[in-house]
Amino acid sequence: MAFNRELFFENADAAARSGFVIRAVEVRKVYRMGDTDTHALRGATVDIIRGEYLSIMGPSGSGKSTLFNMIGGLDKPTAGKVYIDQVDIAQLDPYELAWLRCRKVGYIFQSYNLIQVMSCIENVMLPMAFAGLDNEEAREKALHILDLVGLGGRALHKPSEMSGGQQQRVAIARALANSPDILLADEPTGNLDLKTGEEIILLFRKLCDDLGVTVIAATHDLKMLKKSDRIMWIEDGLISKVTTPDQMNLHEEEVH
Amino acid sequence: MSRAVQIAVQGIRIRLGRSLVTVSGVVLGIAFLMSNVAGQLISSSLAREKEVRQVVTLMEALVRSEVGAASGKTLAVAVYGAMDRTEQLFLNRLNAMPFDAIRITGGQSARGVPSTPQEVGAGAYLLVVLGQDGAVPHALADLTRGMARVGLLDAVEGRTYAGQTPEGVKRDLLFGKETLEQMARMQAQAEQARFRTIWVAVISLFVTIISIANALLMSVTERIREIGTMKCLGALSSFIRRMFLIESAFIGFAGSVAGTLLGALIPILIYGGMFGFDLLFQELSYLRLTLSCVGCVAVGTLLSMVAAIYPANFAARMVPASALRSNV
Repeated sequence: MAFNRELFFENADAAARSGFVIRAVEVRKVYRMGDTDTHALRGATVDIIRGEYLSIMGPSGSGKSTLFNMIGGLDKPTAGKVYIDQVDIAQLDPYELAWLRCRKVGYIFQSYNLIQVMSCIENVMLPMAFAGLDNEEAREKALHILDLVGLGGRALHKPSEMSGGQQQRVAIARALANSPDILLADEPTGNLDLKTGEEIILLFRKLCDDLGVTVIAATHDLKMLKKSDRIMWIEDGLISKVTTPDQMNLHEEEVH
Repeated sequence: MSRAVQIAVQGIRIRLGRSLVTVSGVVLGIAFLMSNVAGQLISSSLAREKEVRQVVTLMEALVRSEVGAASGKTLAVAVYGAMDRTEQLFLNRLNAMPFDAIRITGGQSARGVPSTPQEVGAGAYLLVVLGQDGAVPHALADLTRGMARVGLLDAVEGRTYAGQTPEGVKRDLLFGKETLEQMARMQAQAEQARFRTIWVAVISLFVTIISIANALLMSVTERIREIGTMKCLGALSSFIRRMFLIESAFIGFAGSVAGTLLGALIPILIYGGMFGFDLLFQELSYLRLTLSCVGCVAVGTLLSMVAAIYPANFAARMVPASALRSNV
């Protein structure tokens, strides 16, 4: 099936004009576990502004990860609509969804999810291969991105030879491989100690400011919030409030 | 495509231990198939030689039934004209029997004491007439003179002897009707055995397929996170499917090559030991052997890929969100 790139780009332009990179309207998600239905999302509405650094805050079990999967195009909602760059992802066929995941969104996971058998640079080159880049071009670009995340000298190392912070940097480099508009990070500092976690957050801030990437990070870590532009609170499957860090009294003691 | 190959190869390398176990399953299955195919091939190449040996064995049994225990007895052999290969082998076999003495006229053999046609029969228990000449210039009365028991085994049915046939000479044919019937029975038995081995080979191939499918399913469940991650990074389902098919094809190819070599070697060693390697390599059809090797490798590779269809589809259907969900 041919992917209608022209239509996609046209919509992307419209999205750029509208200012919202992702819109989720009244999203509901029900997981069926045997006879019981679990309502992970009960009608969450989210607007994400292009180029912002948004933190999504909420306790575990609040539907945070589910919302994440929805706005990242990894899963389809039971009810409601999700628009990424004005495109309703429910309308996309598997090829278009793969295209979206490949080019539009970069995913970062709590446990890095690097391919263990591949070296650092091969991990970064993998999404480029899916995007159809040839090997030489991909290698050059991957080296450049690794430099950007501060791993210039470790291109040939295997993930198992690196610290957690370094692995997360590789994961960020991999997420940036196809120059996505959106970086989705699910608990990116969850497995890291305080100092490396902070470094990762500063890196997100830098990518957001320098490259204009929209960063969406789920967390229950207060120290992540300080650097973000907006904070979205989710509770029991609903968005409870949206604030800016200034509106909150984030004392240093609380953060550390 | 090349990326799928690369990932498949890396997948095999990182899980080398289990891959080797899977490969060895293919090796055994294909080795069994190939040993059957090559065994049939070699056996049919050596069919003439085998037939000759069977005839000789039957003739030897005939001699035993005529003479009883060979020890303590004398055998007389008369040769008229050139002997064919069956007769030569038969003569060698007679030499190996525990006769006290063997007298021979008109030819020579390892143990045979050269003699004249008039003296060859003296004290002998049995006279064997070999050679392809239709007419014998000597009289049977001369040849059987002085025999302890006047019995005669003749290799040629219509052979005529000079003079009159004396009374009391019992003349039997070496290649009689009985021999032919027994040959037919043996061939029917061999045919039955062939169908049995084909059946067992087919079953062993099924076992191979199932074991490959099982190993690949384990490999898939082990890599759910990896597969989900790849899907998050934009891999198409077809890419995931291709990756597992290629991995299985590699395993199947490696196992088939090793299995084919092993399977060809076994019957070559067995038949070589039985009939001699010179004869085997001379009679063997190398074209047909090569074709069966290629065929077995193709069958093994193809079956491995067939076995991979279900696990590969299982992996390809996986939802990318599972990578996020299965956080450790």
